[in-house]
Formats: sequence, C-alpha cells, structure tokens
Amino acid sequence: MARMKFYCDSERCIECNGCVTACKNANEVPWGINRRRVVTIKDGQPGERSISVACMHCSDAPCQAVCPVNCFVTTPDGIVLHNKDTCIGCGYCFYACPFGAPQFPTDGAFSSRGKMDKCTFCAGGPEEADNSPEEFRKYGSNRIAEGKLPLCAEMCSTKALLAGDASVVSDIYRQRVVNRAASALLGGSGLQQTGFQPSVAGTGVTSVPPESGKATAEPTGMPADDVPPSTQVPAPLQ
Amino acid sequence: MKLTKISGQTGTVTTATPAIKSVTRREFLQTSSLMAGGSLLATGLSTGMMRKAQAADAAKPAAANTKIARTICSHCSVGCGIIAEVQNGVWTKQEPAFDHPFNLGGHCAKGAAIREHGHGERRLKYPMKLVDGKWKKLSWDEAINEVGDKLLQIREQSGPDSVYWLGSAKHSNEQAYLYRKMASLWGTNNVDHQARICHSTTVAGVANTWGYGAMTNSYNDIHNAKAIFMIGANSAEAHPVALQHILKAKEENHAPMIVVDPRFTRTAAHATQYIRIRPGTDVPFIWGMLYHIFANGWEDKEFIRQRVYGMEEIKAEVAKWTPAEVENVTGASEAVVKRAAQTMAQYRPGTVIWCMGGTQHTIGNNNTRAYCILQLALGNMGVSGGGTNIFRGHDNVQGATDFGVTSDSLPGYYGIEEGAWKHWAKVWDVDFEWLKGRFEAGKYEKGKDKDGNEIEIGVMNTKGIPVSRWIDGVLEDKANVAQKDNIRAMIMWGHAPNSQTRGTEMKKAFEKLDMLVIVDPFPTVSAVMSERKDGVYLLPATTQFETYGSVTASNRSVQWRDQVIEPLFESKPDHSIMYLLTKKLGFDKEMFKNISVKGEEPLIEDVTREFNRGMWTVGYTGQSPERLKQHQQNWGTFDYTSLRANGGACDGEFYGLPWPCWGTPEMKHPGTANLYDTRLTVAEGGLNFRANFGVERNGVNLLAEDSWSKGAEIQDGYPEFTADLLKKLGWWDDLTEAEKAAAEGKNWKNDLSGGIQRVVIKHGCAPFGNAKARAIVWTFPDPVPIHREPLYTSRRDLIEKYPTYEDRKSFWRLPTRYKSVQTPDHAKDYPMILTSGRLVEYEGGGDETRSNPWLAELQQHMFVEINPRDANNAGLKEGDDVWVEGAEGGKIKVKALVTERVAPGVAFTPFHFGGVFQGKDLRDKYPEGSDPYVLGEACNTAFTYGYDSVTAMQETKCSLCRITKA
Amino acid sequence: MNDGSVKNPGIEFWDAVRGHEGAETGQVRSQVTSIDSTTLINPMGEEWRLYRMDMLIPTAAIVLGLTLLAIVLFRLIRGEIKIQGGYSGQKIKRFSTFQRYVHWTTAILFIVLALTGVILLFGRYIVIPVFGAEIGGTLTWLCKRTHDFAGPAFGVALLVMIITFIKGNMPSRIDLQWLLKGGGLFGKHASAGRYNAGEKAWYWTIALAGTLVVLSGLVLDFPNFDQGRNTMMYSHWVHSIGAVILIAFAMGHIYMGTIAMQGAFEAMQTGYCDSNWAKEHHDLWYADMQEAGKIDEPTNEPAGTLQLADNKS
Repeated sequence: MARMKFYCDSERCIECNGCVTACKNANEVPWGINRRRVVTIKDGQPGERSISVACMHCSDAPCQAVCPVNCFVTTPDGIVLHNKDTCIGCGYCFYACPFGAPQFPTDGAFSSRGKMDKCTFCAGGPEEADNSPEEFRKYGSNRIAEGKLPLCAEMCSTKALLAGDASVVSDIYRQRVVNRAASALLGGSGLQQTGFQPSVAGTGVTSVPPESGKATAEPTGMPADDVPPSTQVPAPLQ
Repeated sequence: MKLTKISGQTGTVTTATPAIKSVTRREFLQTSSLMAGGSLLATGLSTGMMRKAQAADAAKPAAANTKIARTICSHCSVGCGIIAEVQNGVWTKQEPAFDHPFNLGGHCAKGAAIREHGHGERRLKYPMKLVDGKWKKLSWDEAINEVGDKLLQIREQSGPDSVYWLGSAKHSNEQAYLYRKMASLWGTNNVDHQARICHSTTVAGVANTWGYGAMTNSYNDIHNAKAIFMIGANSAEAHPVALQHILKAKEENHAPMIVVDPRFTRTAAHATQYIRIRPGTDVPFIWGMLYHIFANGWEDKEFIRQRVYGMEEIKAEVAKWTPAEVENVTGASEAVVKRAAQTMAQYRPGTVIWCMGGTQHTIGNNNTRAYCILQLALGNMGVSGGGTNIFRGHDNVQGATDFGVTSDSLPGYYGIEEGAWKHWAKVWDVDFEWLKGRFEAGKYEKGKDKDGNEIEIGVMNTKGIPVSRWIDGVLEDKANVAQKDNIRAMIMWGHAPNSQTRGTEMKKAFEKLDMLVIVDPFPTVSAVMSERKDGVYLLPATTQFETYGSVTASNRSVQWRDQVIEPLFESKPDHSIMYLLTKKLGFDKEMFKNISVKGEEPLIEDVTREFNRGMWTVGYTGQSPERLKQHQQNWGTFDYTSLRANGGACDGEFYGLPWPCWGTPEMKHPGTANLYDTRLTVAEGGLNFRANFGVERNGVNLLAEDSWSKGAEIQDGYPEFTADLLKKLGWWDDLTEAEKAAAEGKNWKNDLSGGIQRVVIKHGCAPFGNAKARAIVWTFPDPVPIHREPLYTSRRDLIEKYPTYEDRKSFWRLPTRYKSVQTPDHAKDYPMILTSGRLVEYEGGGDETRSNPWLAELQQHMFVEINPRDANNAGLKEGDDVWVEGAEGGKIKVKALVTERVAPGVAFTPFHFGGVFQGKDLRDKYPEGSDPYVLGEACNTAFTYGYDSVTAMQETKCSLCRITKA
Repeated sequence: MNDGSVKNPGIEFWDAVRGHEGAETGQVRSQVTSIDSTTLINPMGEEWRLYRMDMLIPTAAIVLGLTLLAIVLFRLIRGEIKIQGGYSGQKIKRFSTFQRYVHWTTAILFIVLALTGVILLFGRYIVIPVFGAEIGGTLTWLCKRTHDFAGPAFGVALLVMIITFIKGNMPSRIDLQWLLKGGGLFGKHASAGRYNAGEKAWYWTIALAGTLVVLSGLVLDFPNFDQGRNTMMYSHWVHSIGAVILIAFAMGHIYMGTIAMQGAFEAMQTGYCDSNWAKEHHDLWYADMQEAGKIDEPTNEPAGTLQLADNKS
C-alpha cells in the first residue's frame, strides 16, 4: 500500500513560493490561510536554505491523537484528513502539530477560530463525494481522486518539493544525494562569501572586520570541500 | 456556525469514524500512472515518464463542457507552459504542463497563481475618464471619440511627435508589431516599451559585439554547462524556473555556480562561490577576471584568432586592472577573483548569465560588452553549454523588442534609415511618400553621412524619445527638445510608470500633459499618481488569456497561446483597441490593408503572416501560425535539453522555432536553438558570427578566419549576401524565376521572396555573412568597455580616475547630463548606496500582481533592506517605518528589513510597489473596486537621474540615499 | 575533507533546523506571516501531546474518579450528617442576598464550565462513540462555544466572589485544631468560626487556582493577541491542572453543601441557617452571633426558596 509523503529538497528550494500559490490555486483557500509556507533559515547568510512546509501527513499524527472530537482520519494511502463538520475549532491540533500545519480562518476573541483547515494532500475531505462542489467548498480540490498529485509539488519550479509514494520519493531523493556527493568529490564546493565590505561615510563606520577565514587563496585547483563527513540521512519522511 | 448536513450520509450519523469512501481513490493510488507521475515530477528529468503521465491525464474523462487551453505564462520571459481548464466560460482549473519543454509543469508563485486572472476582481472594468477629480464611466464609442479628437487636435497644433505611444512587453508579437506599425503610420518614432529600461543595453551591446542582441542559447541548454557564471542576476526570484535548469547542471554536471552580486540573493544561496561587489563595478570585476585569464594564458587563443576582432585592445585595458586596483574598486580580493577566473577557465563550456544588475547603469552597454568579451576570451561562444544566457524580463519583452516597439527601430532591427522605411512600406503595402508625409516635415537633428559631411536628418530617421526620458520630453524647456513641441499626450499602453526613475518629476510631467490615456487591464499607478482633475482616460484592455497569439520567450522560441476565456467586463484585446483607434484617427485602411478585420477584431493569424513577410533580418519569417500551432500541440515531443523534437509532427525542429528561423515557412527551417554554433549546418540551426560591421577596419580583416559553420561552401569568412554576391558566386541561377524577379538588386534582408536566404542556406552559408565578433565597438562612446563611476557615487576618490561622460546637448532628442550630476558631492548627505531589484511574487510595476490576492498576501509591505550594522547605527529595528530619501530629494516611507543580504552601506528596495507617494496613500484615487490589494511606495520615487550612454537606459542599480527613522 | 563518504546535502539544513539556528537573530523568514510561521519544527507540540494524552487524561480520570469514589465511600460509612438537635426553627442570617447571588452565579458558571470542560477532555471517548461524529461533534462544539463564553463571565464572577467572601475566610489558629480533629466528621466535635477550615481551604483553592485557571483560560480564549503556540501550551498546562483540582474540590464541596449534611444547603438557598446547625458546626460563629444579638426568635415559617428569598437584608 502506498504511503503518500511530501519531501522538500532544501538544496533545490529557492523560496519562489510557487507551492504556496499553487495551493491557493488548487484549493481556493482564503486570504490568511496558508496550508503551505516556505521558511528560509540563515536568511542572507552563507548556508541560507529554504524549505517548503505543510502538513506532513504523519504516520502517528499528533493532531489526530489530541483531537477532542476525533475528527481526523488517516486514509489507507497515509493521508491525514479531517472532517470539518465534526471539527470544533478548539486549536488542540495546532498546539500538537510540530510543523504548524493546522490553520484557522480567524483568530477571533472568545476562541472563535472557525473550522480548522490544513493541507489535504489535495485529497479533498473525508466525507463528501469526490470532487463535489460541497467537497471543494470545504476542503478544496480532490486531485488524488483524479489520479493526480498535490498541485504544490506538481508545480514546484525546481522540483524541490516531492510528493507521492514514500518509497518513490525517497528513491528520487537518494539518487539526488548520490549525484551531489559525486559532485562534491569531483570538486564542487561549499559556499564562499567574499568581497565588498565598504566603509560608509557619515555613519561613523570606518572599517569592517574582514570575513575571516572565508576568503580563500588556493593557488591551484578547486578549494577542498569543507563538508562534514556525515552519512546520516535526516528523517523528515517517516 | 452550524454544520451542514453531510449529503448522502444521513444513515451513518452514528458511525464513530467516518469511513473513507473512495474505493476509486485507492484504486488510483495503486495504479502505476500515479507513481509515474510522482517520479516524473520529482526528478523532472525523464521525458519517457513525462509522456506516460500525460497519457494518464488524457485518459481521464473530462467533463463534457470542459475546454482545455494551452497557453503561456504572461509574467516572465521563461515562457512556462500552462494548461487551463475552462468550464462554461469560467477558468476552473490550472494544471501543470508536464510535457512543456521549458518548465515541465513547474511554476513560481506568479505562474502558479495565474488562474486568478480569470477572477479579475480588481480589474479596470469599463472605459472611464476623470472629470473634476472623479472617475466617470464612458462607453467605448465616447472614449475612442474623445481620445481620438484630442489626439488629432494635438497633431494639428504640435505635430505627430507631441503624442507619445508607450507600448508594452505584455503585447503578443502580433500586437507589438501592430503597435509599432500604428505609431509609424501616425508618423512618429516616439514609441517605446519596457525593453528600454530592462535590457536595451544588452541588445545594443550584444548585437554590436556579434550580431544579434539576444540570449544566445536557452534555459534548457544550461543543462550542458560545465560552469555557471551569474552576474547581476537574481534568477531565483526573477526567473525561478530557470533555476530548475541551472540546478540540474550544478547537480549533474558538477558545474560550479558563481554568483556575483552586491546582494546575497536567493540565487546566491545556491552558489558554490558568491562574490559581493560594490554596485556599478561590473567592468572592473570582469577585467579583473580577464587579468588572470590573460596572465595565465587561459584564453582560447585559436577561437580568438578565428572569430574575434579587437582582443588586443581589450588586453591593453585589462592590463590596467591589477588585482589591487580591482579590489580597490570592486571590493573583491585577488584570491576570489582569481578563483572565479580559474573556475571559468577550468570548466568549459561555461555559461554567463546576466540580468538587470548589469544593464541598468550609465555604463550598461560597457557592462554587457564586457560580459561578452569574457565569453569570447574563453571561447565559450557558439557552443552548447556556453553562450551568454541573458534572461529577459517580461514574457514578451523579447518579441516586443524584435518587433521594434522602440524609438530607434522598425520591426526586425531594421533601424529607421530610409531603406528600412522603404522595406516596411513595401511589406505594409503603403506608399513610402505617403508614409513620409505622415511625419513632421522639419528637421530636428544634424548627423553625418557616410563621407563625414554634416547633413540634416529627417524626422522619420531621427530616434525618438526613449521611455526612460519621456518625463523630460514633457518638462524640458521646449527650446531644448529636438522636436517641434514638447510631448503633450501620453498613451501608456500596458506600461506601469513606477518602473521608471525620478518619480517626483514624473508626477509633474503627468500634471503638465494635455491628455493621459491609459490602456491596461488595471488602472496602474499612472491613474492615481498625479493631482490631475481631468484629461485622463482609462481604456480597459484584456490580458493575454482573453485573446490569443504568439509570444517570444527569452531563448527566442516563439510560442502560440490559446485564448482561455472571453474578455472580462468591457475590456477589449489590444489589437481591437488599435483598430478602433486607427479607425478614428483615419489610417485604418492603410494599417489593416492586408489584415482581415472581423467586426472590430483584426485577425491575429493575418498579422503573423504579415510580419512573416518582412522580418528577414532576425528570421521571424519561418514561424507561420500553422507551424507555431503545431509546436503548441506537440510540447511533449521536444527534448528537454536540446529542445529538438524527437519524432512526431515537428521532428527535427527546435521548440518554438527560435529565431532566426530562416526563409519562408515552406522552407521548414528548424529554428536556431543556439546562436553562432558552427558545429551545425545553417539548415540545421547552425550559425557563425554576423558580418554587420563591414569587412575590414584600419586594414584589419573583420571577417572570420579559418572558421565557418558546418557544410559551408565558402570555407572562410564572407560578407553578408546580396543579389550581386550571389551572381558573383554563380548561385544566382539557383533562384526560381519568381525569386529572381523579387531578389534583383536586393539583399538577404529585404528580398521578400526569401530566395536569397534559401539559396545561401542551400550552399551551407549564413545569410548574414561570416565575420568575427568585435570586442571593440568603435561606434560607441567607449569603444573598449571601460569603467566609469556612477553619477551618484559614494567613492568620490575614484571620480578623477574613472569620470563619467561629458554632458550632451542632444541625445535621443534631449539634453542629457552626466558630469554636471557627478561633480557635486552628494555622498556627503546621502551616504548609503541605493539599489533595486525584484521580488518573486510581483512583476514589473506590480499593478497586476498586487491585484492578485494569492500573491499579494505574500508581500504586504514595501520595504528597504539594510544591513544590521547600518540599522544599529541609525537606531532602526526590523519592521520600523523609515524614510528613504534619494539623492534628488524624493522620499519614500517604507518598512525596514534588517538583513545581511546587503552589505553595510548598501540599501536595497524592490521596485514593484506603487500607490503610495512620499508617505501619502493614494488608494481612494483609484476607480472604485480596482485598487490593488497591496499598495506601497514606489522605490523609483527616490531613484535618480542617470542614463546609459548608448541607449538611454535608466540607472536604477546604483544611486545614493539616506535612511532615517520615520 | 573528502573521505569518500556520501554526504547528505540536507544534513546541515536539518541540523540547523533542529538547533533553531539563526532563530535568535531573526534570520528565519517566511512570506507567510501567520503565527509561528517561521518555526519549522516545534518539539513542544510532541511534549504537549504526551502531556495531554498520556498524563492529563488518565490522571484526570483517576483523580476525579477517586474523588467520586471517596464521596461514595464516605456516604456509605458516615451517612447523612444530621443536625443532632434537630431543627430548632430558629434562623440565623448567614448569607446576604448579594452573597448568595454571587455564589450561585459563580457556581452555575463553574458547573457549566466543568461539565463542558470535562466533555472537551473526555468527549472523544464518550460523546463521539455514543452520538456519532456528526451529533457528537455538534454537541462538543456547543460545549466548546459555551466554555469559550462562560469562561470570561466566570472570571468576573470569581473576582466578585473572592472579594465578597474574603471576610471570615482568613486562616486562624482555630483552623489547625479543626483540621487536627478531622473537621469533626468522625464524631469528635471541632470548633469552627463562620467558616471552618475545610471551607476556607475551598475558598483559597478557588481563589488561587481559580484565578490561574481563569487567566490561563483567557490566554487560550483570546488567540487574537498573536500569542504563540508555546504560550498557549503553557497556559493549557496551567488551565487543565488547575481545573482538575478545582473540579475535584468542587465535587466535595457540592456533596458537603447538599446531601451530605442536613441544614447546610438551606443556608445558601435562603440565606438563613438553623441555629442548631450553626451551634453544631460553627459554634464560635454562633456564639458571636448570639453576642451580637443577631439570632431571631424561633418561627414556624418554612424556609423560603432562593427565588422567593426576601430582601430584608
């Protein structure tokens, strides 16, 4: 049985936010609800990387565990769906989810959040007939029922965001890792940030500390890679 | 509040756990098609899988009333394919075009949000005019009549040059062509579009180096690159799908990726080497690299001998740029510059990519030529994986440039010399003398003829005012403008004003105009920027999804767009509006002589065929509507890397018949995927450098030596082909009788039969000759590209050594200042360098994208990026409101974004915002319901004077400012 | 250096994510600007889940169940605590009308909150299986909305109650003795003032724990102030632990105030208590009252209901 998963390859993600708007496009979620988002760490610094995050459709989903009305359901394909008719908008899933996936239409006083909304892996809702207007209104599109994958991944500009059966996704990712490792062995290199650090007239800054250790003066060949020797594969996929 | 009853579930209310209903879904997931789809979109590399997925797609029964349209994204120049599903006239779905060779279904934020165009809730809905400061609805008839009467009145009083026809890179090719034709038949060269302010220096610099001013290879060809050198290009935000190709090369070819930019961009984050330079120091940096290349003998000496002219003079200039001087000027140390040079030398072919970081400078043309020279020195030209991959901006800025929506050329870069006019008069089937009579009779400028005698130049042959300077055309003292009168009416047709500098003066210019006509799907900032109370007309135009036609991507591929939906509200497509307007202005008969008009809509295919008959110079002659539509229907048959169709209806052709696609459509030329590639025959898309600059200079041969394209019967350099040359070569009789009649006395550029091109290509030669590229452009102000400090520079100590140009009295009809701007010390009061650029969510002036809620939500505030060091010194925190005051006093109130993306002393602003002017919110000035979701200060309110010495490109990448807490 | 090992290109990234690298300096960004949108992985979520599912729910079930059991056992052992002297018919004014309104407002709100809160806590195991997802969901939703609105009202009532009843609830030495004697529940007489130590303990519990529960509840009830997930999780900890303690205490209080003891309920019902009852359970207060001459002559009037309570006071 397939287990549907997302994986975002941070080496490829460029924070173009295509996945974010593709999600809006597929599901017409209103302003303020973002089932998917792109987060950039070390912004503006060497090592900057971006990653697209949404519901990870966990195998042992914390949202599902804590829901006081048990409105979540894991489909046989491993997609975590929730029933908006049952949902009471308590926000417990929002506390429990490590990825910040659950969204609420409002953040009103008296905990008036409305029904929780989150990524459905473009699989619509658990109740309504596939691709009925009612299902679309509540949950957005049901691409899975049409034999398609989530639009965010299908539209990813650099093919960073992968979606599909976990084994296929990890095969692809593994292949990329091997490619890149070969690239590193053959002389690719880590980022070097160098160059212009002007002094600024009128602001009292007369000199800027050099980027110590970052400039390289290798006379021949490509500078050696300073990659930590690690073979550990992180496990964002369950 | 209340939960609706779940339909069809009444009997299951006591079910504890809602059962998952869909057996079908499970079945789907077990089928191999989905898995194939998954792996396809994951790797994005295998065309075999791609077709499988496509087949699965096609097998899906579409609803009976569902129409599938294939169109092209209308944002940037990558030209991503889009599959639109339309039900009952409503654009209901957007599917990824997995088989499209450019994007494999991938989209950035803008492309993935394109369907929102079908909603169009913030569009300009009806023709309107401003009456006593209020917007009043008009009928189309009233609007066209009033605008037409006023235009005719101004023409009567001040001549045709007092009307400025500002066109657009958002036109389709057909509309762009018609637009230039319309301005020409109106009788003016005061016509221009966004290319002036985006890549005009590229077009001029690159064309003058080797023939054509366009991207030489393609996005897809970057797959073959062994090294990638990006300078002044933030493609991750400006052309995100390009990164799909770049990262493929980086990962699979182990290609080093060097990013040179003043700002640590999203692109730089993926680089293997990032080099920060001071804004405006591209030439010194490139010369710094060449210093090492020449010093170590890394240049491709044989390539240079065969195919490059003037490299010795470059070497002399480069020798001045010692590593110490390079570091002093650019900030990049010897070690890093050398490493970059060495990387490029070691990994060949390497590609060079640049964008507006290089072009938008007073020495933009020097920058672009320097980049070309780097590639020439490395011998990276004319090879797959090499070339200068210049990413154009808008979706059809390449096409609009090709079709001459510029003040210095007719379609096809024919220029505006008499011969060019005669050629087009013939194609248009209008009398040349009548055409000449449409222009102002007097003379504006003096020039020199071939023998150096001073002559007066006819108005028809005088370059018009460029869009970057239209405000001066309005505001400058009449006596100083080289035309009969100032500009009195502006027609802003698909052009945002906030992408042009000097906003404070622009506001005055808007206020001084007699009439302002805005033809656009959105009101744009033009509608609200000034304090005008009347004389403003808004004509709602459609987007490209409400019409159809062809569009040229950056790689010169011409793609056909289907119509997705009917025009929304009362909007009309551009070509229909042009028809209505020319009819009112009285030259519709001439304009649409050979173009059928159905109702009020000219037939697009007829327009395509008409330009096919005239665009010989750049080879827009083979792309008939029929061939383009065939390519559109066969996306999946084109190879992802070479773009060549592998079997199928377009077997052997390159996708979109990238120009030059020589000869007539019947000749079936496959298009030219990579320019100047001598390893292919011309008939297969091979080429060599163009002979456009004569055959010799000062006794030195300008033609190629011992180099020719594969299969050429002339195995050496040769000049461009004329009827006479054919006769000399004994090839004349290869022409048919009909061709002979047409070709007599003509050359490859103006033989309307296409016979000369056909015969020349039959003999394996390039119609435009075979010459060397020239590293020095002796017709330019700086024949050898040299460094000149920006007008507003913070390095006062460098001005003496690298001064700017002298002021000019008349340059593109206007006095143009250089030295008088640079001489006063502005850095004293304005210590920060101000630069600008793009955001991925928005495009251009941003009226379109800021009106799209899916995009607008992601960028809600105009901001300025400042380094933490500067922020601390100025006492600013992230999110604070700050005033950014430009060196000419324009001020913008924006949010501070404190980040190390920029170096200390440098501030960056995005340029897509508008609708707030110097702290004043203009939202209530928009016609009701058409204000974009997000408004913000236009950075160009603070940007300053400065124009390229060849093309009058505006300087937006290097100015000065000061930032204070608001 | 290259040692031939295959490097995972994502490793640095995930290391950085786990270590929250850059988060302190504000160098983590997202164009999506919702709460905590720049937090990639929040490990607190898992802790909270473990707390709620493995700690709170079982513990609360045990605590409340044991409390109930204790009450039942106590009842079985001790039976109803009669007024040994029987009703004297002589009434002593024990609570003013205002005090009774305050008490009952608070009490009703408390019961509503307790019941709805308990349903939120255990409903998944009771309401949904019994009523099904649709009706159960709707019921739970009603409970949640009731809880959302009753909570702030309870906060106000609680504040007023704390002020209203503070007099007489200050701890004194007597309380220690009372406690040592087990409140006299098992035979030995324990002296008490207006309020005995048990009542005082309840007062102070609801005053302190109640305040904490209210404050933490407000944090949960008003997400519109952009408080992050962690703040709300901490609040939930406080809220749930406090609430369980209060409910357990309240069960005892309710039992003692109603069926456990003859004559107790009418004090809060009518405002008057029987003098014999006062003598037996609050002898010191009775003495005070007697001294102050506030004890009426015996009457034969039946005790009025709360609704009919007079306004004499």
